[in-house]
Amino acid sequence: MAEAHDPSVADYRATSPEDGGGRAPMKLVLERFLHNTLALLAVITILFFMFRLMPGSPLAAFINDNLNEDQQKAMLQQFGLDRPMWQQYLIYLANLARGEMGLSFFQRRPVTGILLEVLPNSLILTLSSLIVAYVFGVLAGAWLAWKRGSWIERAAVPVVLATRAAPEFWIGMVLLALLSFKLGWFPSGGASSPGEAYTSNWQRIFSLDYLQHLALPVITLALYLQGLPLLLMRSNMLEVMHEEFVTMARMKGLSEWRIVIGHAARNALLPVVTAFALGVGLSMGGNVVIETVFSWPGIGRMLVQAVSVHDYPLAQGAFLMIAAVLAVMNFVADLLYMTLDPRVSHGRAG
Amino acid sequence: MAERAEERGVIPAQLAARRSWRLPPIVQRLLTMPLRDPFAFVGIVIYLLFLLVAVFADRLATTDPTEILFLSTGKVAANMPPGAEYPLGTTNLGRDIYAQLVHGTESALAVGLSAALIVALVGTVVGLVAGYFGGWIDALLMRIADMALSLPFLPFVIVLIGFLGPDTSNVVLAVVLLLWPNSARVIRSQVLSLRERSYVEAARVTGASQARILFVHIAPNILPLSFVYAAIAIGWAIITEASVSFLGFGDPDNVSWGMMLQDAFASQALSRGQYAWFVPPGVCIILVVVAGFFISRGYEEVFMPRLRR
Amino acid sequence: MKRRTMMGTAAAAAVAPTGFAKGALAQSANEKIRKINFYTWPQAALPQAYQASQLIAQEWRKLGLDIDVKPLQRQAQTALIWYGRDKWDTTMWRMVGRPERSDPDEFVYSLFYSTLADKGYDFVGYRNPDYDKLAEKQRTQIDKEERRKTIFAAQEMINRDQPYAFLVHPKYPMAFNRKVFKEDTVVNQTGIGIRNIWTFVAIEPLGAQKDLIINSSESLNACNPLYIGGAVDSWITDLVWDRLMRIGPDGQPQPWSAESVEWKDDRTIAITLRAGMKWHDGQPVTIDDVIFSFTAPAGDKAPMYKPFVTEIVAMEKVGDRGLTMKLKAPNAAFFTASLSKINLIPRHVWEPVLKDLAGKPENAEQIKDVNRTGSGPFRMARWQPNEEVVLEAFPDHFRAPKVARWIMRIVPNAEATLGMLKSGELNFLGFFGGDPEVLVKFAKENPDIVVKSETDVGFEFVAFNCRRPPFDDPAFRRALSFAIDRRLMVSAAWQDFAVPSNSHVSPVLSYWHDPSVDNPKTGLAVAKKILADAGYRLKGNKLYYPAGKQEKLTTE
Repeated sequence: MAEAHDPSVADYRATSPEDGGGRAPMKLVLERFLHNTLALLAVITILFFMFRLMPGSPLAAFINDNLNEDQQKAMLQQFGLDRPMWQQYLIYLANLARGEMGLSFFQRRPVTGILLEVLPNSLILTLSSLIVAYVFGVLAGAWLAWKRGSWIERAAVPVVLATRAAPEFWIGMVLLALLSFKLGWFPSGGASSPGEAYTSNWQRIFSLDYLQHLALPVITLALYLQGLPLLLMRSNMLEVMHEEFVTMARMKGLSEWRIVIGHAARNALLPVVTAFALGVGLSMGGNVVIETVFSWPGIGRMLVQAVSVHDYPLAQGAFLMIAAVLAVMNFVADLLYMTLDPRVSHGRAG
Repeated sequence: MAERAEERGVIPAQLAARRSWRLPPIVQRLLTMPLRDPFAFVGIVIYLLFLLVAVFADRLATTDPTEILFLSTGKVAANMPPGAEYPLGTTNLGRDIYAQLVHGTESALAVGLSAALIVALVGTVVGLVAGYFGGWIDALLMRIADMALSLPFLPFVIVLIGFLGPDTSNVVLAVVLLLWPNSARVIRSQVLSLRERSYVEAARVTGASQARILFVHIAPNILPLSFVYAAIAIGWAIITEASVSFLGFGDPDNVSWGMMLQDAFASQALSRGQYAWFVPPGVCIILVVVAGFFISRGYEEVFMPRLRR
Repeated sequence: MKRRTMMGTAAAAAVAPTGFAKGALAQSANEKIRKINFYTWPQAALPQAYQASQLIAQEWRKLGLDIDVKPLQRQAQTALIWYGRDKWDTTMWRMVGRPERSDPDEFVYSLFYSTLADKGYDFVGYRNPDYDKLAEKQRTQIDKEERRKTIFAAQEMINRDQPYAFLVHPKYPMAFNRKVFKEDTVVNQTGIGIRNIWTFVAIEPLGAQKDLIINSSESLNACNPLYIGGAVDSWITDLVWDRLMRIGPDGQPQPWSAESVEWKDDRTIAITLRAGMKWHDGQPVTIDDVIFSFTAPAGDKAPMYKPFVTEIVAMEKVGDRGLTMKLKAPNAAFFTASLSKINLIPRHVWEPVLKDLAGKPENAEQIKDVNRTGSGPFRMARWQPNEEVVLEAFPDHFRAPKVARWIMRIVPNAEATLGMLKSGELNFLGFFGGDPEVLVKFAKENPDIVVKSETDVGFEFVAFNCRRPPFDDPAFRRALSFAIDRRLMVSAAWQDFAVPSNSHVSPVLSYWHDPSVDNPKTGLAVAKKILADAGYRLKGNKLYYPAGKQEKLTTE
């Protein structure tokens, strides 16, 4: 239980493998991989049946003024919805293995293609916000630990907790109104200026225009995300600073600041790194709201749209892609945890 | 984790030894904790205030929050500025914002408390059973927990609401499905160490039944953890409800702070400068959620005092 | 204030009223009217309609009725109303305006025609042989004056029977920046507004900004001349592909890609194609392309467009640019319903595609890489899902646009659209999802922004399920309809961005709209009198059926 000791600090699931002690590292890695894969497979299965067993015919989505009954039947056939459920499920799995997620009901295009077009935007938004949040959070957290007992530390903790308690869309709307509509410092939404053309996606992503559009959503998201690394860093620092090696260093007469930076911070940072990996997976899903506020063309908005028009294949695909990122990052976090935490790598029970 | 449990080993021993009419010491400590931690105290005060507002909502705001208000001229009382008659003004469709805010408290607490209760209950029971019995039961329950943890949070809530219908109870259901594994996992590892304690061993030797050991000897010691996770769940449930409402999947029959914010943004309260419309619900959400954080921190400081300075 | 249990869905289901009126044997001569479910949209989806339903329910309750207003999400509502035709009492509903609805045929025929009651557009189940005759007759009347009389008669019949309580024809506000565009080059289309192809080809940039940047809250689903996946899709296909005719700014069809279109007799049309037209790939547009465009949807590969060509029995090429079409029967609406709807598509592109599809289960709607070669005034340059669609002007078009590009930005956030309009990130507001009042105020503060709103061809209404008592009685429907003060609807629900309605032919279609049905007398007194005259009785503030009338229905 390295970093989950403080649930008000941790994300709702910043937990790590708690039963890893005493086993060979390689076996442990494989085991975690297996668990994560099985969990993802279970998610795929649950999701599939959830979508199929939901009340109301999937055809309700098709109720289209221009379609008669025969045409609707033909449509069912085309989407394979007329077959028995288990057949649909097997077909779905087989297709998934080949990276195919079917056709969107409304766009009539392959879901995988649609999602891959918007996925980079979401990844960039998530990663940039996390980096900003963690750089700030780690520094501020270390500083607060150093300042422990001061009035500033006492005031900071509730303030930081409040940033984690505020609804993101509320903060986003207020920032948008203030910094964009009123002051005109930032564009009002979207990922690039109207009609801006780029030769490649890379060129686009590294253009000034893209960065300008990215800034405000990143600030909003980072404002929310910084609380976790900050509080985590602070409490880890406080903990580490009581450990033997710090006392040793103190006895050696090293300055307080050097102890903080050179010794304590390095050790306190480890759980934060794990939390970062988990954060990537978790925030991907949480971006839904931010993407709506800032008209950001990401996968979260795609999901919301698909759900609201009951475009099953697209909604399912978007959900799975977010779940897959989460699963991968969970595994990465497990690995990081195992390699970075001396207690686990040295075979001590957590 | 190990050192924490040791610190606490004393209490269960006393508990096992003494059988009196008095509340078990751990429960006493649970109840008196807020007095010892300023954060938790503030949190409890905030909760109590909102609880009072919810209980006396009908008296605090006599106007029906869904009623369309009319002026004496027969026109709808839309966009009235805050004043004596409407303390926070009215919406663009003539609803009393103050009444909505007050009645939104009921729905926030209903969502938060029911989610907290169920999360704590499910998490505690699963954690207890998995930790105490171990073996295949443990493996099965923990794999289910793994799976629930592999579901992306907000997307799952949206999908569930989108297809089961925009009902507040579905928000609670979704939050519970996603949150129980955290408490279950932590409680399980706590139980793992507790069941090796000497007093549990003693109870076993004296022939106490499994259920008795589990619920009388072990369960009270993990109550603080249940409280911590319940307090967290309150916040998550309320924020989730608000986010879902903002995205347009809110319960149309329910007046909640999230629905108020959605309405305010969709009707351009920002452009109109109706701060009294979109600031108070946001502040209320922050207060309730932060109160949950404060309380959970308080329980931790008192019951899991790792950070002694 | 409604409170619900949060603890589970089971509890909620258990308290649902079951068998409310079951077995309510008429012991007295009069039977009480059961509770009425009034479906509507959630406030978050359509605030105006939601507001209207609340106001209406307040009035109806004063008549002694027990009304339960039930907001349903769009999907659930369509599933219930459209597929469960005998399972509902009354609901808020809307018919949206489209250019082709500028001909009264679509509404006059489809909405109330008996055979469409089970599965088609007549979802309220209005069946009246007399009305059917009128609906058929107007279709065959090529003589405009004669047809007008029939359309008037149809409106009077609907006014008498009130299968719908028409509420308003909304006015959708749109806007543009007059610093960027020459104001008098913006064209208003009757019943549609300024967001139309006539504006987009005519609008003139004044300065350096040569791009028209318009917003949409919905994203583009598909860009395919044989498939429309959503409202916004048609904005784009309209500009990329040409049609033989278009609905003009006056609401009447006029030749577009055709030089002339004429009735030879009541089933024969002579068409002459414009000379010198080109596809976006440079190839000439030929009369064979035109024939192909009207033949392609006839198979089973374009189900959405098929209904528009089924009237055609034969096509014959006359010289290089001439074409004769023969119809099954006389059809007064053919110019609007077919010639203005079918997209002209290049044969050299689509013939191989359709051949390839022959015998496969897929149809033209699911082609992966749709070839977007059209002959329209704009051509597709780029499409970034959920972000923007960029069209560029096609200089070889006979109505080549003055703007360089037409860019549609997807902005789901209403507040942000105003911010963008102010900053120049948008210069044309094609849709506004927020409070129209705010937009008007915004335009006052930003004098460069011109707001235009046009009364819509479509309308918002309360639909009565004519299959179910008490709504099977026209008198009851009339009473409920006339209990609603339309002016209150306009001011209190639509914030004055609407005009009162009492007809399925919008007043903007001034030639076809029958003014005699306008402004019926409304109010509680009127409604109460209608009910009393029809034998309904009030007992202890509850409304009872006329003597002898019974029903076996339950409120679900």
